[in-house]
Amino acid sequence: MKKLPLVAIPLVLFTLLVLFLFQGLFSDPRELDSQVKGKPLPEFSLPDLMKPDVIYTPEVFKGDVTILNVWGVWCVTCAVEMPYLTQLKNEQGVKFVGLYFDQDLDPDFGTKTLSRVQQEVTQMLARFGNPYDFNIFDVYRDTSLDLGVTGAPEHFVIDHNGIVRMHHIGDINERVWQNKVGPLYYQLMEAKNAEMTSALPQQAGQQ
Amino acid sequence: MKHIIITLTLLLLLPVTSHATEDNFAFDDPAQRATFLRLTEELRCPMCQNQNIADSDAMIAHDMRRKVYSLLKEGKSEQQVIDFMKARYGDFVHYQPPVTAATMWLWAAPVLFAVIAILVVVRRRKPALPDDMAAKLAQAEAMLKQEKE
Repeated sequence: MKKLPLVAIPLVLFTLLVLFLFQGLFSDPRELDSQVKGKPLPEFSLPDLMKPDVIYTPEVFKGDVTILNVWGVWCVTCAVEMPYLTQLKNEQGVKFVGLYFDQDLDPDFGTKTLSRVQQEVTQMLARFGNPYDFNIFDVYRDTSLDLGVTGAPEHFVIDHNGIVRMHHIGDINERVWQNKVGPLYYQLMEAKNAEMTSALPQQAGQQ
Repeated sequence: MKHIIITLTLLLLLPVTSHATEDNFAFDDPAQRATFLRLTEELRCPMCQNQNIADSDAMIAHDMRRKVYSLLKEGKSEQQVIDFMKARYGDFVHYQPPVTAATMWLWAAPVLFAVIAILVVVRRRKPALPDDMAAKLAQAEAMLKQEKE
């Protein structure tokens, strides 16, 4: 009776070790805890990529569930996911907004002019489809840094109050949409619609 | 010949610090420059995860170096720069893990292991010695008596 616990110690330790290593097989070392999740978007004031006179602030995301897509013409995976995003927009009415940034280190002294960038973007969108309502031009890539962006493509699901609900690193394809991004998107849409319909009678009553 | 070999071996032992950065960051204050170099070595690139931002050539590392530079120029302290990056990329971005409930075990586990091991060894030894000796002596005494008889 007294011997049993002693024998069990290595067995228990071994089992714990196996469990620890086993779950390690399925963990993704590239997965980072997003720091913006559950928070409103960081402050920014950035121009439209095509119409630099138009300036956007986080206010533009209020009132609609939006997927903010970080991309650039230099990003191959972005080109790959673009047709699928366009399909989502056309078939399900998903609202995509682009956060565009260019690779030139210093935009002020970079080799590319804005019109050159615009031309490349127009060409690429014509070729792969245009899922975007509009593109925000992150000129100095400061907003990307504030959002914790590590590269492209990356996606932020933003609810109708302008709160970031998910940070997805990598592309959106059918599998990702069905298992990860889609369910949250529909849930947020439902929440938004519920809020809209409950707000309507109140407004009517007040008038 | 021997001298050459010795010098070469010594050369190999020199600490090698590599800086992939070709950007020019000018500082007026040498202390601030030292802080900059220390920070870019301590901060980890979120894209190529086993490189610091001084080493990495990823775009995000460029941007982070640029940001560290401008923050230092604004007069921010070393800790403030680290906090700035942590607020965006999490604890992951700093090579020195903070002590939290989860990471505490990194320090506690080895100590705990040593303490338990010492306790086990001490406990097993003490009672065994005098008892055995007495018993053995008694046994030897008995054997001697038997032989005499």
